[in-house]
Amino acid sequence: MNDLTPYLVISTTLFCLGIFAVLTRRNAISILMGIELILNACNLNFAAFSRFVTPPDDISGQIISIFGIVLAAAEAAVFLAIILAIYREFSTISPDETDTLKG
Amino acid sequence: MSVVVLFSIILLCPLAAFSVFSLLSLAGRNSPRQDLISTAAMLIAFVCSLLLFVTANPENPDHQTLTWLPLESVDFSMGFYFDSVTAVMLLVVTIVSSLVHIFSIGYMHGDPRYPRFFAFLSLFSFSMLFLVVSDNLLGIYIGWELVGLCSYLLIGFWFEKKSAADACKKAFLTTRVGDVGMFIGMMMLFAKFQTLALYGEDGIFAAVSDLGAGDLTWLSIAGVLIFCGAVGKSAQVPLHTWLPDAMEGPTPVSALIHAATMVAAGVYLAARMFPLLTPDSSLVIAYIGGITALIAATIAIVRFDIKRVLAYSTISQLGYMMLAIGAGSYVAGLFHLTTHAFFKALLFLGSGSVIHAFHASHQAHSHHDENGHSRGSEAPFASFGIDPAQDMRHMGGLRRKMPLTFVTMLIATLSISGVPFLFSGFWSKDAILVEVLYRAMSWHSVHHYILFCTAALAAVITAFYMFRLIFMTFFGEPRNREMYDHVHESPKVMTVPLIILAVLSFPIFNTIVNKGFFENYVKTPEQPHVGSPKHAHDSQSQGVLYAQAGLSVAYAAEDAHQHHDDHAAGEHHNPIHDKAHNIVIPLSFVIVILGIGLSALFYYWKKISAEAVAAKFRPIYNLFWNKYYFDEFYNGAIVAFTVASSRLFGLFDLRVIDGIVNGIGFTVRELFSRLIGWVDNTFVDGLVNWVAQITLSVGGRIRRVQTGMIQNYLLIILGGLVLLILIFRSL
Repeated sequence: MNDLTPYLVISTTLFCLGIFAVLTRRNAISILMGIELILNACNLNFAAFSRFVTPPDDISGQIISIFGIVLAAAEAAVFLAIILAIYREFSTISPDETDTLKG
Repeated sequence: MSVVVLFSIILLCPLAAFSVFSLLSLAGRNSPRQDLISTAAMLIAFVCSLLLFVTANPENPDHQTLTWLPLESVDFSMGFYFDSVTAVMLLVVTIVSSLVHIFSIGYMHGDPRYPRFFAFLSLFSFSMLFLVVSDNLLGIYIGWELVGLCSYLLIGFWFEKKSAADACKKAFLTTRVGDVGMFIGMMMLFAKFQTLALYGEDGIFAAVSDLGAGDLTWLSIAGVLIFCGAVGKSAQVPLHTWLPDAMEGPTPVSALIHAATMVAAGVYLAARMFPLLTPDSSLVIAYIGGITALIAATIAIVRFDIKRVLAYSTISQLGYMMLAIGAGSYVAGLFHLTTHAFFKALLFLGSGSVIHAFHASHQAHSHHDENGHSRGSEAPFASFGIDPAQDMRHMGGLRRKMPLTFVTMLIATLSISGVPFLFSGFWSKDAILVEVLYRAMSWHSVHHYILFCTAALAAVITAFYMFRLIFMTFFGEPRNREMYDHVHESPKVMTVPLIILAVLSFPIFNTIVNKGFFENYVKTPEQPHVGSPKHAHDSQSQGVLYAQAGLSVAYAAEDAHQHHDDHAAGEHHNPIHDKAHNIVIPLSFVIVILGIGLSALFYYWKKISAEAVAAKFRPIYNLFWNKYYFDEFYNGAIVAFTVASSRLFGLFDLRVIDGIVNGIGFTVRELFSRLIGWVDNTFVDGLVNWVAQITLSVGGRIRRVQTGMIQNYLLIILGGLVLLILIFRSL
């Protein structure tokens, strides 16, 4: 398994699943999960390209992946906090129903 | 002191007195002692005039001028010209004005507009003095109009009386008719000479000598036109009708303006323009003067209003002066002006004294008459349309009540009647008669014989009506006992001016009315011989030229001949002149005796009934009584025509001019405004609205995209991304 293609297939699949989840879910938690999938697809891409395309001693791709994971964790925390606040306000977490800012 | 300083003082004093009043009036204050201010100003001016008169050198005129209004093509100058004529006029004006000021303190006492009266007198004095000292036609014209304005203000001083308000308008408008002629004459001179200055190297008088023979007619027309101004101002026929009406003003005003000074300004103008007068224009002036003298004298016979008699007498005497100037006797005309100023002012002030006394008695008699000006309304007798305080039919016997007024007025009357030797009026009237007869004899001119007869006849009539006035007023039995009982002599402030003026009627007491002195003092200016070569004074060329001008050769030849004689030997040694003199002196006796005798027969001894004579010559009497129907003619012809044409023009204005204006307005409003309004509404507003509408509808459509659903946005972003990728890939 010394080939880039399976990684890209997997990451593309993850990305598409994430997009699909973000676009179709009526639950903010599920959307968050979709976003996490997209992020992880990106991280996978970074790591894969770092492993197969760039010189072996350049590990900046892997490092960016780790940054991405950290960011994803922080983002999930913020996201959940916002969802909690929204729930307190509207008693729902469906993004379609929290439309106060709509013109 | 130099002449300039004295001139400035003379002019500025009355002006300052008037300014005090105007400035205080502007500040809303009343000038407390305006009478004293004005009188003091006039007295100072009088003293300065006397100084000038004494120090003046008649041989060497003083002429000062400076540029007043520099224009691109021509400069207008202002300045003064001081010769013996100016000196005499200054003295006459300041003496009479000072005395009238003093008299007015008594006469106008208690008038509600007392300070204003004195302020106007000061303004008048300033204007008159300005007129007299000006060295150019423009300055004279300015002074001329200013005295006209003052005359208007003072005639209408009691403007509550309708007759006074009408009289001042009439005076203003009538004199304006003459002034228009004068202005046209001035413009003719200006067009020719490009200057209005009279004296000096560039002056009109210097320029006239260079005119050719062809300009003689033109110069005659210009001279007569300028004389038109004098006709209006000096109340000559046919513009004399305003002066009798001007008697509606206070009597001191009549004495100052309408007897002594302003009306004499016309004579002064004619005298100043003397070097411009051609034989033709001189003849016009002489005839107008002669006719005026006779017509006014005949009208005066039948007047009953004491001031109207004096007014017509003034017109008549002014006619005399004009006659003298027109006949070429410049000195005699000015001499009569001087003597007349004194005795006529005296007569008016004397009549003012009588009127004042009567008026006071009328007030004392009817205690409820508080307002001093509503004269006549409560008279206990028929008023005949005349102010009863001025009606001689209510007077009589006043010599016992008012001795001072009587004596002084008698002196003036003797003077104006020409009682020989003792009185100034004799000398001046005699001088005129002699000069006219002398012209007639030396030129063998029929015109001047006619004029001489006219003047002699007018002199008889003058003596007649003046003594009629004296007899009716001061002699006989009082005709109105109630009034007579209350009459008193006027206060000193009024009688003292009378006495001074009476003294001025005697040549032996003062030099200014002395004939010999006057003739030495005032010299006839040399008339430039228009159209003749400068050095050829020969009678032949003169004769030809004057014959071209429409006069007899003899007239002209004799004139040129006389011109030499004058220079050679002086007028008094001229045989023809002596002959004229020898005829006139006895004639003067006849005139005086005839005039006074007839008057006494009618009004003193009452041998002849005036009514009976009037009844016998009813048409002539009616002619005199109705003043030759001049007023009726003017009312019927000129006033009616003016009113009718004004109506016509008014109608024209209303219908045609207004119609055109309204039509244009209507067209513009209907056509242009509507069109532009439509364009505005349709296109401009349409564009604005269209932009708004488009924005609105586009915005309405685009806002649908903004669903507020986050997943939609994401979908769009994704779609956009895919699109971009497809685009970039295809590139």
